[in-house]
Amino acid sequence: MDASMEGLLETYLFETNSLLDGLDELLINAEKIGDFSEDDVNEIFRSMHTIKGSSAMLEFNFLMEIAHHIEDLFFYIRENGIDSLDQAHKSELFNLMFKSTDKLRSEIEKVENNEPLETNIDSFVAEINGLLDKISGKVSDSPEDKAPEKASAGTESVPLNPDDAPHYIHVFFEDGCGMENLRAFMIVNALQERELEFIYYPNDIDSNPDSAEKIIEQGFYLGFRTADAREQAVRAIDQAQNIRSYETGERVEEPAEPEPEQQPASPAETAPAAANTAAAAPKAKSEAPAAKKKEAAPHGAVKQDLISVNLSKLDALMALVGEIVITESMVTSSPDLQGLSLDNFNKSARQLRKLTDDLQDISMSLRMVSVSGVFQKMNRIVRDMKQNLNRDVRLTIIGENTEVDKTIVDSIGDPLMHIVRNAIDHGIEENVQDRIAAGKDPQGEVILSAAHTGSEVIISVEDDGRGMDTDAILAKAARNGLLTKPESDYSQKEILSLLMMPGFSTNTEVTEYSGRGVGLDVVKKNVEAVGGIVSITSELGKGSCTTLKIPLTLAIADGMEISVGKSIFTIPISNIRQSFKATEEDIILDPSGHEMVRCMDEFYPVVRIGELYNIPDSCTKINDGILMWVEASDKSYCLFVDKLIGEHQVVVKPLPPYLQQFHIKDSGISGCSILGDGNITIILDVAHVYAAAQGIY
Amino acid sequence: MAESTIDITENALGEKNPTAGNIQRFLTFVSDNINFGVSTDYIIEIISNHMICPLPMVPDYIKGIINLRGQTIPIIDIRLRMGKMPQEYIDTTCIIILDVNDISVGIVVDSVTQVQDIDVDKISPIPLENRQELTSSMIAREDGSVILFLDCEELVRQ
Repeated sequence: MDASMEGLLETYLFETNSLLDGLDELLINAEKIGDFSEDDVNEIFRSMHTIKGSSAMLEFNFLMEIAHHIEDLFFYIRENGIDSLDQAHKSELFNLMFKSTDKLRSEIEKVENNEPLETNIDSFVAEINGLLDKISGKVSDSPEDKAPEKASAGTESVPLNPDDAPHYIHVFFEDGCGMENLRAFMIVNALQERELEFIYYPNDIDSNPDSAEKIIEQGFYLGFRTADAREQAVRAIDQAQNIRSYETGERVEEPAEPEPEQQPASPAETAPAAANTAAAAPKAKSEAPAAKKKEAAPHGAVKQDLISVNLSKLDALMALVGEIVITESMVTSSPDLQGLSLDNFNKSARQLRKLTDDLQDISMSLRMVSVSGVFQKMNRIVRDMKQNLNRDVRLTIIGENTEVDKTIVDSIGDPLMHIVRNAIDHGIEENVQDRIAAGKDPQGEVILSAAHTGSEVIISVEDDGRGMDTDAILAKAARNGLLTKPESDYSQKEILSLLMMPGFSTNTEVTEYSGRGVGLDVVKKNVEAVGGIVSITSELGKGSCTTLKIPLTLAIADGMEISVGKSIFTIPISNIRQSFKATEEDIILDPSGHEMVRCMDEFYPVVRIGELYNIPDSCTKINDGILMWVEASDKSYCLFVDKLIGEHQVVVKPLPPYLQQFHIKDSGISGCSILGDGNITIILDVAHVYAAAQGIY
Repeated sequence: MAESTIDITENALGEKNPTAGNIQRFLTFVSDNINFGVSTDYIIEIISNHMICPLPMVPDYIKGIINLRGQTIPIIDIRLRMGKMPQEYIDTTCIIILDVNDISVGIVVDSVTQVQDIDVDKISPIPLENRQELTSSMIAREDGSVILFLDCEELVRQ
């Protein structure tokens, strides 16, 4: 029971979240045009209906109520046509919809975090109903209109009518399986997915928990117009769980047993006059979903090809594949085989290598997701800021289909949000006149783009605003005491990187969106946590561009293996600029004995790994070892190591959590990897090695 | 990768099999001539002759990390952790792999003795004010020797 509930909850969260994402996107697009299309209205209606149903199933009443009232609202809109709304109402509707999706989302988050849901919904519901009244107030027959609407929103079926649906299925659930009404509702959902037209009884299963009792006692009736539809339904029911038995049949007359419960519905049936109003709505309704389903058919087909998998399973798969790659090389390069000529073995080994490589590629690609989800969220941020800051900005998205590792997508969301906010708040001119005076399009533009370059993905946020005033930045940095050398020594690049120092914000005023003094430094930290680099370029008066360079995946990296003493280290290839031999004469000492070496006409500090890490038996003479010129973010220096071993792809493993307490990351170790022979190599983080060296000398 | 598990003969070695009392199994080991006990609930396995990859810039008692079937596990030398003198690793030197609240660590000990059933109710706290933080309780065996119990939770405390 619990396990199945949990699975249900997981599905529910996934489904609701994707519906809300879809809604957000739809709303943004619709708002751009300033109107809802008929499809949009149907889509919103359908989404809300699904959210309502599934929320009711899991007894999240708050969510259900909101969804229910929005459904009502859109039912009205659908019935009367979106054109019946004037512009003021539309914009109000947009705001309300954004507010409601936000509200739903925050409640879903609470569900995810196991927090109690809000219970006070009256004010919110009143707001929705207020709008509905306002809209419908223009139409004189609003009271009559609302009644059938309510009725139809609560249930999706016409009353059981023998003429209409003579072919019935009578379903009984297993004794004591619990939540019969929900199980029945799931069957209803499954049948709706098959685009069948049918009616069911009891018909209040999604809103009335007591209906479970009825189903236990009398079973669950499904009625179909044709025998063919019934056959299809039988197939669907066969797949459903916890069903004890079902019987099919043709109904000549209404079965006697459900009669008492049917009382409330039957007046509508018997009194044709009253039925006119009541039946009109359900009929329209049953037709509309059918039409909509047809339109949505291509979507459905695409959806069928996707399954959602828990990320932890993928992680486990990746770990396993990593093991296989290592084990493969352990087997094929086993010392026992040395000196033997084994033609067949070598052939098979090559085949194995090819297969493991393919396996690795495929398992890596499983984790790749497109950045469009994160990018679409920015639309929303731009929209909100536009309204609240009153700036005319458009967001252009390029390359949203670029794929990156799921972990990375998750971790760039917040940094991107900061950057986009910064671009609008600090970048785009406050006053439209300033833009016109500068000969720019009065509407500001923020371009969000993503692109692949080999092993990296480059995400950039570009604005055509006022650009950054380097003098102002420098002055501010000086005021905040962030400068470490004379002002005149700073290059443009260095000045811009000052922006990413903790506690720097050029806006003296704190606004809702940025300027709290946390911003770019947090962005930098987050991006560096996934192995990326942030850089800023800017031209005064023309705009600025913030670029994130992020490795495609965290799990596998190209690395250069080096040895120092008996230890083996791996340095990411992306950090290495050059390695070269040097002699004692090339080394220059500063007064306090720090070593430097000259490469490409510039001097760089030398860090001896052996000395830094206190490794016994490491080379001490410059002539014996090798220098490796490395670079990470803004730091460039030379590492002195004993030997280069070679280039390898390594599967990066995090260090055991126990070691975190020793601040091992600060000593320049980002992780470890297991070599083909089962030994461990330590992966160095070039930026932190330098910081650690600074700390020691 | 010479990796061998040491057979532990399970016996109750002269312990009576008391019907009453709260019996738990403990692995006893020796480090610097002191008998220690650790609950078998924590123990994953015992290995020896494993290649340890040293880590830079950590306290000296962290000997490094090992690769145990693809898992990296940090290794703590119990001697050094307790502030004793280090000793060369020889054949009897073992690594006991522990799993304490999902944190895996290996401890280097001089030698492993046996697995023993011990009545938990008879364990008494160590009556010293300035006792070693890693041992909190003790028990006297019938032959007069004493077992100190290793506080695993304390060992992995962050």
